Amino acid sequence: MHRQRAGLLFVCAYLVCAYLCASGISMQAQEFRLLDRTVQVHGFVSQGFIYTNDNNWLTMNTSQGSAAFTDFGLNMSSQITDKFRIGAQVYDRNLGQLGQYHPSLDWAVADYRFKSWLGVRAGKVKTTLGLYNDTQDEDFLRTFALLPQSVYPIDIRDATIALLGADIYGTISFERHLGELSYTAYAGDRRDSIYSGYPYYFSSFGAQIKSFGGLQYGADLRWSTPLKGLLIGASRLNGNITGKGSVINPFNPGGGLVPYSEASKADWVNQFYGEYTVGRLRIDSEYRRYWRNQELFGGTSESFADVRGWYISGAYRICKRFQFGSYYSRYTITNVVAGALAVFYPPATDTNLAANHDYDKVITGRVDFNRFWNVKVEGHFMNGYGSGPYPNGFYVQVNPHGFQPNTNALVLKTSLNF
Amino acid sequence: MKNHRILPLVAVVVICAPLRVVASEVKVIANGSIKADMISTNEVKSVFLEEYGSLNGIHVEPVLEKDGPVHEAFLHEYLGGTDDDLQSYYRALVFSGRGSMPKQLDSDAEVLAYVARTRGAIGYVSSEASTEGVKTLVIVNAGNNSQRRLITRVEPEYPDTLKRLNIGGTVRLQLTIAPKGNVVSVQVLGGNPILGEAAVAAVKQWVYTASHARTVAEVSIPFDSHR
Repeated sequence: MHRQRAGLLFVCAYLVCAYLCASGISMQAQEFRLLDRTVQVHGFVSQGFIYTNDNNWLTMNTSQGSAAFTDFGLNMSSQITDKFRIGAQVYDRNLGQLGQYHPSLDWAVADYRFKSWLGVRAGKVKTTLGLYNDTQDEDFLRTFALLPQSVYPIDIRDATIALLGADIYGTISFERHLGELSYTAYAGDRRDSIYSGYPYYFSSFGAQIKSFGGLQYGADLRWSTPLKGLLIGASRLNGNITGKGSVINPFNPGGGLVPYSEASKADWVNQFYGEYTVGRLRIDSEYRRYWRNQELFGGTSESFADVRGWYISGAYRICKRFQFGSYYSRYTITNVVAGALAVFYPPATDTNLAANHDYDKVITGRVDFNRFWNVKVEGHFMNGYGSGPYPNGFYVQVNPHGFQPNTNALVLKTSLNF
Repeated sequence: MKNHRILPLVAVVVICAPLRVVASEVKVIANGSIKADMISTNEVKSVFLEEYGSLNGIHVEPVLEKDGPVHEAFLHEYLGGTDDDLQSYYRALVFSGRGSMPKQLDSDAEVLAYVARTRGAIGYVSSEASTEGVKTLVIVNAGNNSQRRLITRVEPEYPDTLKRLNIGGTVRLQLTIAPKGNVVSVQVLGGNPILGEAAVAAVKQWVYTASHARTVAEVSIPFDSHR
């Protein structure tokens, strides 16, 4: 009976797949006319499932298998004149304990392009940082179900995804086969959701973060080199971030909640990257260093966190509908606390310890049934759980019995876009 | 049981069946509202990658074909990369708020009809397709000027009257050079008009090294009455 059910399910799944492939269901972007202008509508939805053999990962109960891994977005945009565009996107997600289906304005821009080498965007703009920061939510754009978490941690996406402000951008083409240079410079206010990773991490101390954000500014420069298919670049991001809330006083735990604040003394990211595409092969590599020096509890203590991550990945398209890829990702964190809180937080500087690193080996297969629908199967083989003062996927709240040094994860993900 | 063994194999074959691409020549067409008659390969690339929103002050709208040999040939000649790369590029623009999805049509006929009726539209069709109602743009490879050497130079004749009157100066010309190397057209950009006529008559006899495409070059011809 069990085999019959499995067989029936398999045949049904096959028929659905065959129908979708054969029919080429119409899922084109929708557009309509408004005030003599064309307005385009696009959207996407993705659903994932993760199973881990030991530690629970990304705030989900993955050791039992979890499908609390959903996100979707919808946008509208219109070209008002030959140089002026407007548009906006709403985004929502649930990732275990994060997001919890609180929709947000993902981006909303007015974009004026004076020349190919100079344009201005204002509103809520996506932050250009490395190869994939501004498109990290749209996994249908790449082979992997999860970007390397050493550089693009999905749980603390809010830290870099967008800001309320403006950017200037442009592309300069050089003569004499020197390639093309693209630049972006931006400034604005970053505002993290209280349902994002850092407030959730802080809740493990009995703390409630009520606001987290501040000024963020930076720039990106990338060079499409004369060697066809080779792109290299660098990004820099600076922040002046303040967090406020309430916390259990560590010196008087029975005394109830007391006001808490933290503020940046130095908060910056350097990121270097390269991408090489030749034929059906793509190779990417990035390095990110995040330095975080903060005053805690109104300046009575100070925290120094040095977060470093890098990865190298390769992806190959076997045929139009099937591609596979693999990456190796390394994440390390060191942390020193000075001042009154130092007694509770001894220095964590040995990156050989599992608590201070996360090394991840990944292999992925992706099937595209048509232009709009894909399915991915991905395996992660992790050593370490990097649970320092800055979260990286492993949280005490969902691992109350402590962490195991190794985690193997199976990730299944499907997404639709139009 | 046999069906269960065959089905996965068939599924893999269906999923992996490659598309056959037959290369064919393409021509770039534009709506009559586009003033330019020539466009460089860099400009074609920038229009279709949405880096240029206008040409000569006219808003441009790129129009593509969804697939097929004409589309593949256009990608190969002008954009590089595969259709999957291009679709990912457009989607990245759309979902990061930096661009829009261009119109993608099924055939030469649909592209022709759309370009003919839509102000600012630029598309591409097979080189054999009829182009009634649209203009065909001449594609020049402006970036390759440095590679073409002048192998035959004819000096202009200095008009006696102007020389005796010590009227000289520099004439600036824009040359369109055919792949074979001969100069097919000349446009005077600046300088004395009578000296310009003499310069044009001379440069039309110039011969450059061969190239795989037309190129455009700017030259300056000095006329010094003291020599």
